[in-house]
Amino acid sequence: MSHNNSNPQDDTVKNKERRKFLGIAVGVINIALIGAIVGPVLGFVASPLKRRKKGEWVAVLDDSHLAPGDVKDVSFTMRIRDGFQDVDRQYTVFLRKSDDGVVCIDPACTHLGCRVKYQSDQHRFLCPCHGGVFNQDGDVVSGPPPRPLDKHPVKVEGGKIWIYKEV
Amino acid sequence: MSKILLPHDDKEHTLSPEVPADKTRETETEEEELRLRRPSLGDWLDLRLGWYGFVRKNLDEPMPAGVGWWQTLGNLLLTLLMFQFITGFALAMYYTPSTVGAHASVKHITYEVTLGSFVRGLHVWGSTIIVIAVVLHTLRVFFWGSYKKPRELTWVVGVLIFQVILGFSFTGYLLPWDQKAYWATVVGTNIAGTIPVIGDDLILLVRGGPEVGALTLTRFFSLHVMFLPAMLMGLMGLHLYLVRKHHIAGPVNPQKGPPVAFYPNQLFKDAIVLLFGVGLVIYLAIGFPPALEAIADPTGTDFSPRPEWYFLGLYELLKIMPAGYEIVATAIIPGLVTIGMFALPWLDRSKSRHPAKRQWIIYTGTAVILMIGLMTLKGILETPPEHKAPPVVGATQAPSSMREVAPKSLPAEGKQP
Repeated sequence: MSHNNSNPQDDTVKNKERRKFLGIAVGVINIALIGAIVGPVLGFVASPLKRRKKGEWVAVLDDSHLAPGDVKDVSFTMRIRDGFQDVDRQYTVFLRKSDDGVVCIDPACTHLGCRVKYQSDQHRFLCPCHGGVFNQDGDVVSGPPPRPLDKHPVKVEGGKIWIYKEV
Repeated sequence: MSKILLPHDDKEHTLSPEVPADKTRETETEEEELRLRRPSLGDWLDLRLGWYGFVRKNLDEPMPAGVGWWQTLGNLLLTLLMFQFITGFALAMYYTPSTVGAHASVKHITYEVTLGSFVRGLHVWGSTIIVIAVVLHTLRVFFWGSYKKPRELTWVVGVLIFQVILGFSFTGYLLPWDQKAYWATVVGTNIAGTIPVIGDDLILLVRGGPEVGALTLTRFFSLHVMFLPAMLMGLMGLHLYLVRKHHIAGPVNPQKGPPVAFYPNQLFKDAIVLLFGVGLVIYLAIGFPPALEAIADPTGTDFSPRPEWYFLGLYELLKIMPAGYEIVATAIIPGLVTIGMFALPWLDRSKSRHPAKRQWIIYTGTAVILMIGLMTLKGILETPPEHKAPPVVGATQAPSSMREVAPKSLPAEGKQP
């Protein structure tokens, strides 16, 4: 294109309109190009948002091994999907048998997620990070935790204690 | 050599009416005074960054009369490289550079992650289109004679960028750790071993060990995502600075007429070419989703290695060399071509940029280009059919073999093929 009507000093109405039109065209194309790359990449990077929790019943202990009034920590293994691989991951929960039946208490402190420890002599759970204290039922006694320790659904079947764990 | 007249004469005038002029002059109306006391965000930034000046300088970049579509390839390259950077950083979020995880993680990306096949496809096809674009860009500069004084260093930096792009291709090819990647790298790195005296040490250095294995993968990954991008950014910055400093060389035969501003005509052409270039990459990424072959098997004997298409010329050259003369194909000829490219502005002594006034350069260059082209064509035509149509698994369908369990311990690496 050798015509010279893009000369910026050319103040004719026609040239002004042409510059405006080309400017808008360039802008639209650039926005399309940015959208073409940013859109898919955002979707790609945000892929983990699509993941939904899946739950499973796991037998964690023989019912006869838990005495009434006792609090016991049990470990068990679950096969989970971790990124590109399937791995066996070990989890720990607390089981407590009371008059109402078996309760399964998650060890993650409801403050910031540290693992609570059970102090059997004082019948309480203590969080080592910020001093959160929970009673045997998982209710907050003192410290920063905003709510009781989380519970998992429990059933006793065939002489075994099953818990329902979401991963 | 066409002399470029700057449209600026340093008097105060606005070349782009859209961009306000400098605001230091006397204010005339009360309204304007009020506006300056309460500046817009643009005005506020301009005072601190000189933003308007920067935009205006770039939009008004003088282009010699007669520039056109051939001068849009640099912008296409810049854009496609930025796309590679963005898709690359996204892929690296899911990729695992280990012989245990690489193949499984690329499979995960391709078949499980949202838009994974598409984003990987953009990266894979982008690399091919970039190689085509960088070749066309280089040929344009070569035939136009645009590397002549004072643009010698622009050319040299450009050749370095060319080398870095080939380095990206070679290192990136290994990362999926499938059969094709593995064997192409075995052959590719063997080339280093043909160099006399230092060959054996060089191969250890390139592979990180005697065999292509875990350390080759981490080496190539590190080069691909750390070293080469850093090099490329520095070189591109220098290249762009030099292009802006010396301006575009323009047509071989200087055309009459004053220089024209970059905006709007040339920028519009750039935008159209970007639309087609990026559109092509998107089309290929959707129409021909990237394949993933079986995991690399160092003990396999039924796989005939082939490099990516842009290294096929070199591969064919190596095939026709008689035994004992491999070094001619692996080091001497590529070395001479590379040295020739770097030295081009000094080999070509003619003052004129016109092809007819620098015949031996044009003839030699054309012969080299034809040879590379023919060798590449030979390689493509002789590609066995199984390489031409890799099995493409539906992008949404995950093969059952994906649910394999990660091994508890790392398998022994570096088995002798």
